[in-house]
Amino acid sequence: MIKAKNIKRCFFVHRWTSLICSLFLLVLCLTGLPLIFGDEIDGWLNPHPPYEVLPAGTPMAGLDGIVHTARGRYPGEIVTSLFIDDDEPQIIVHLSTSWAEVMKDHPDSTHYIRFDARTAKVLEDGGTRAAQKKTFIGVMLDLHRAMFAGLPGELFLGFMGLLFVLAIVSGVLLYGPFMKKLDFGIVRKERSSRLRWLDLHNLLGIVTLAWMFVVGMTGIMNELSTPLFGLWQMTDVKAMLAPYHGKPAPSPDEMGSVQAAYDTAHEALPGMTVTSVVFPGAPFASSQHYLLWAKGNTPLRSRLFSPVLVDGRTGRLSALVKMPWYLRTLEVCRPLHFGDYGGMPLKVLWTLFDVATIVVLISGLYLWWARRGFYGS
Amino acid sequence: MVRYPFLRLWGMPLVLVILILFGLLAALLGTGIWHPLSWMALSVPMLTIAWYVLKKRQ
Repeated sequence: MIKAKNIKRCFFVHRWTSLICSLFLLVLCLTGLPLIFGDEIDGWLNPHPPYEVLPAGTPMAGLDGIVHTARGRYPGEIVTSLFIDDDEPQIIVHLSTSWAEVMKDHPDSTHYIRFDARTAKVLEDGGTRAAQKKTFIGVMLDLHRAMFAGLPGELFLGFMGLLFVLAIVSGVLLYGPFMKKLDFGIVRKERSSRLRWLDLHNLLGIVTLAWMFVVGMTGIMNELSTPLFGLWQMTDVKAMLAPYHGKPAPSPDEMGSVQAAYDTAHEALPGMTVTSVVFPGAPFASSQHYLLWAKGNTPLRSRLFSPVLVDGRTGRLSALVKMPWYLRTLEVCRPLHFGDYGGMPLKVLWTLFDVATIVVLISGLYLWWARRGFYGS
Repeated sequence: MVRYPFLRLWGMPLVLVILILFGLLAALLGTGIWHPLSWMALSVPMLTIAWYVLKKRQ
């Protein structure tokens, strides 16, 4: 039995944590709605011409040729990374004028060329600078993740997420004493509108409890991913790369074949798929190595990415990197925030849960406002 | 159920929590049949809301 004093405390926590986070949470719920269907909306707003039809099992074109084409188009620029899609037959090459430019991390710091993965033909050249504009989904994502404020915005929204989780927990603690004498799900419509909204708030809140909790917690984890990856980089990765510290990065002419690096990683990790390659010289990776990210082939393992370091000159395997537990947890839990891992019906359900959360937030604000008026008069 | 006040209060919330957690994890960790099972599990909370919001009180 919860004592009256503790109920009061819970109520205090519930009121203030939710009041502070409500408006930000509303923005998150609203921007989250289009993000659930991000792939569909992007495909609809920025349609790609269909891929050439080739027999299934057509092998992938050589990566060296693709990189050669990209460098040929932009002489004087560096290839920073390439992304090998495992969903569609495309390979995306990223270029920039320098690594220093990449590290500025603004929308114009890199540009891309899309290739057909089987024929190595250029499908689309994103062009440099001003030619690239933000997509609608890109803007929504920026707003949702950081309110256009970069890392400080991410940390701030992470903190709002923490308040949201505290509001959920204190709300559950209040549900007991509130509902002790009432039937589950009661919505008293004929009395005051405050009572009706209170019942709705309690019903929707308790029904969607687990979803709100999971999405709230994974949202906090996602907001912490930048500092967590940074921590790993500054400790484990730095220690691993210490022997190479200070050595100059290979010039494009000295660089070993990227295809050889890809093959090396494949041999080292049988049954895994290489999805991206970061070129030697990256300040966030290694000056001496190709960094390849490979993922597993089962539902669980496909969330877990394994980094592989391949010598940037010789193409020989340097190290299979083990990710620390906190980053592995982050990677496995991440999709639980997005709802994009179970087909269209899951996305529709995600939308409904999101709308229910919006109702909980707005009814909560209304209840606080109505009560405030009640005491004032 | 009326004789067990704990279940009367927390029975439904517990069932819904279990269904949601099952639904979220089934789609994440499974393929094939686990996806429709996940959709069914996650539909229950939404149907519960619709039922109680639309229901006329005696």
